[in-house]
Amino acid sequence: MIEVKGITKTYGKKQNAFLALEDVTFTIPEGTTVAIVGKSGSGKSTLMHAMSGLDRPEIGEVIIDGENILTLKQRKIDAFRASKMSFIFQSFFIQPNETCYDNVVLPLEIAQVPRGQRRAKVEAALNAVELGDKIRKKAATLSGGQKQRLAIARAIVNEPKILFADEPTGNLDSTTGAVVEDFLFNYSKDNNATLIIVTHDVELAEKCSARIEIVDGKVQAIYGLDKTEDEA
Amino acid sequence: MKITDTIRRAGRSLRQAKARTLLTSLAIGVGAFTITLSLAGGQGGRDYTDAIVKANTDVKEISLTKKIPVTTSIQEYSADGAGTTDAFGGSFPTITNKDIDDILKIDGVESVTPNYAPTVNYITAEGQKKYVATLSEFSPSVTLEYAAGSVDGDLKTGEIILTEDYADILGFENPADAVGKKVEINATKLSTSFNPVPETQNFAYTIKGVSSASGLAFRSQGTMLVSSEEAKNLYTYVNEGTPSYGKFVLAAVRVEDADQAESIKQVLNDKGYDAQTAKDVLGTVNTFINVLLGILLGFGALAVLTSVFGIINTQYISVLERTQQIGLMKALGMSGRDVGRLFKFEAAWVGFLGGAIGSGLAVIVGTISNPFITEALDIGDIYLLKFDPMQVAIVIIGLMLISVAAGIFPARKASRLDPIEALRTE
Repeated sequence: MIEVKGITKTYGKKQNAFLALEDVTFTIPEGTTVAIVGKSGSGKSTLMHAMSGLDRPEIGEVIIDGENILTLKQRKIDAFRASKMSFIFQSFFIQPNETCYDNVVLPLEIAQVPRGQRRAKVEAALNAVELGDKIRKKAATLSGGQKQRLAIARAIVNEPKILFADEPTGNLDSTTGAVVEDFLFNYSKDNNATLIIVTHDVELAEKCSARIEIVDGKVQAIYGLDKTEDEA
Repeated sequence: MKITDTIRRAGRSLRQAKARTLLTSLAIGVGAFTITLSLAGGQGGRDYTDAIVKANTDVKEISLTKKIPVTTSIQEYSADGAGTTDAFGGSFPTITNKDIDDILKIDGVESVTPNYAPTVNYITAEGQKKYVATLSEFSPSVTLEYAAGSVDGDLKTGEIILTEDYADILGFENPADAVGKKVEINATKLSTSFNPVPETQNFAYTIKGVSSASGLAFRSQGTMLVSSEEAKNLYTYVNEGTPSYGKFVLAAVRVEDADQAESIKQVLNDKGYDAQTAKDVLGTVNTFINVLLGILLGFGALAVLTSVFGIINTQYISVLERTQQIGLMKALGMSGRDVGRLFKFEAAWVGFLGGAIGSGLAVIVGTISNPFITEALDIGDIYLLKFDPMQVAIVIIGLMLISVAAGIFPARKASRLDPIEALRTE
């Protein structure tokens, strides 16, 4: 469960201060698929960064599994991300000169998974996105859709309970995009993992069980989520 | 991230930029090459002089001269012969029999042998031409290499050791043929040199051995050796009756125990002599080698310093180029410390590669050129470049540490990178 309580994030100082997030509050139960929608510059990416501990808002709490990650030490947040979360980005961020195996094994190395268990996990993740036969191939040889599937394999290899996807299909055509979406939703369903998709693609947002709409750093509407405890 | 994973990942990153990695490490390689060769040269040089000094001097022997007074004022003439006037009118102090008796009284001194160095006219053998010759005194403690024959203990009266060149020119078929044959040495009595017919005399010697040219021996090259007793006889014949008779520039003091050499040297110095033990001679030569070594190492250090900036530059560019990769690794939970470590290990790899290439090349080039150097310098069978595996290892490890130090600045830049900023770069 992810509880976001009244987070506010300001960029810049004094007169130039820009309110990126203002008093954002909601609760996402485990296993939910949530779309965070809004125009570019609305603060949806900042919200994702705050929820994953990459960014630290001045005010508010982000409570994951009962722990406020915003008050944790940096090392603890790093360890938290390595073990419980993962990311998928619009521009893939895969290493083209490395093999698929070396790309996917990275989170396992960061999380210090024992060497003996790595190969099986990497193979399972690559098989899940139907790239099992590319394990020894250089990532540069893959097509755009395959690259994003490789990124998904990397994201799910350590079986995270929370998966963040920032415009996952933004760089793909609708057919390949649909395939990538299926892999994401299947992972969430099979593992009861929370999937949080940041997007302005309305069709993709509608496939999610819940939706949070952000306008100018404020939550404008929430669909499919229970009312927050704050209001009780 | 585990250290081994970080090291492997660092190595892999470098393999992806092969040309850049190789060029950066070549800069270090130049330093490693110079340093490894200088160290090998220093080691070989020290061993060489060590061997020379051991072969030509005796730890029980102290070489002695009188201290030359540092004065420019005009000295009073003394009739007792405390000074020898040289051809240019200068005067330098000499060792006299009185000095020798004096020194013999010092506790621990076994003998004092002046350097007779008798001046002779020529050497010849039956039916051969006459050749100019120089004689020295044989010392049983000095190692000689023989082409033929050998001497057990001291040379006896009437015996001589020829050099290979002389054995050849005096008509002997080979060095072995010369052993046991006779040669004659002619000398002039100097006190009669202004007579209408100066008095000369032939001295006959039996060849006891023929010394071979050695990289180690100073004296085998041109001089022939006779016993101290014979040298004294010749000296007496030649110099008796001249003003310089009984005055020596150089003398050898032999001590009873090698351990006493240093303390007796001190006593002699206090008495106004300039005394040098075998160790001092070695020290002087080694100082020279160490200065040379220092200069070469300086060049090597300069090359390394230059390459340090090369590493900083390359690594810094690498950090900028890999901003997204760093951002991703941080987003996936890699700590800043581990990211920094990754770049430090990359620098270490570059240092290792450069060190290994440079040192390896130095060892190969040195090993190949050793015989040529030996031949060019004519130093017998000694190799001047001596590679010590420990030294090579230390050079490589040292360069790795220097590279890591050079990598600290770029590594810090990487570790402090904000992942949000890094991932926004598109």
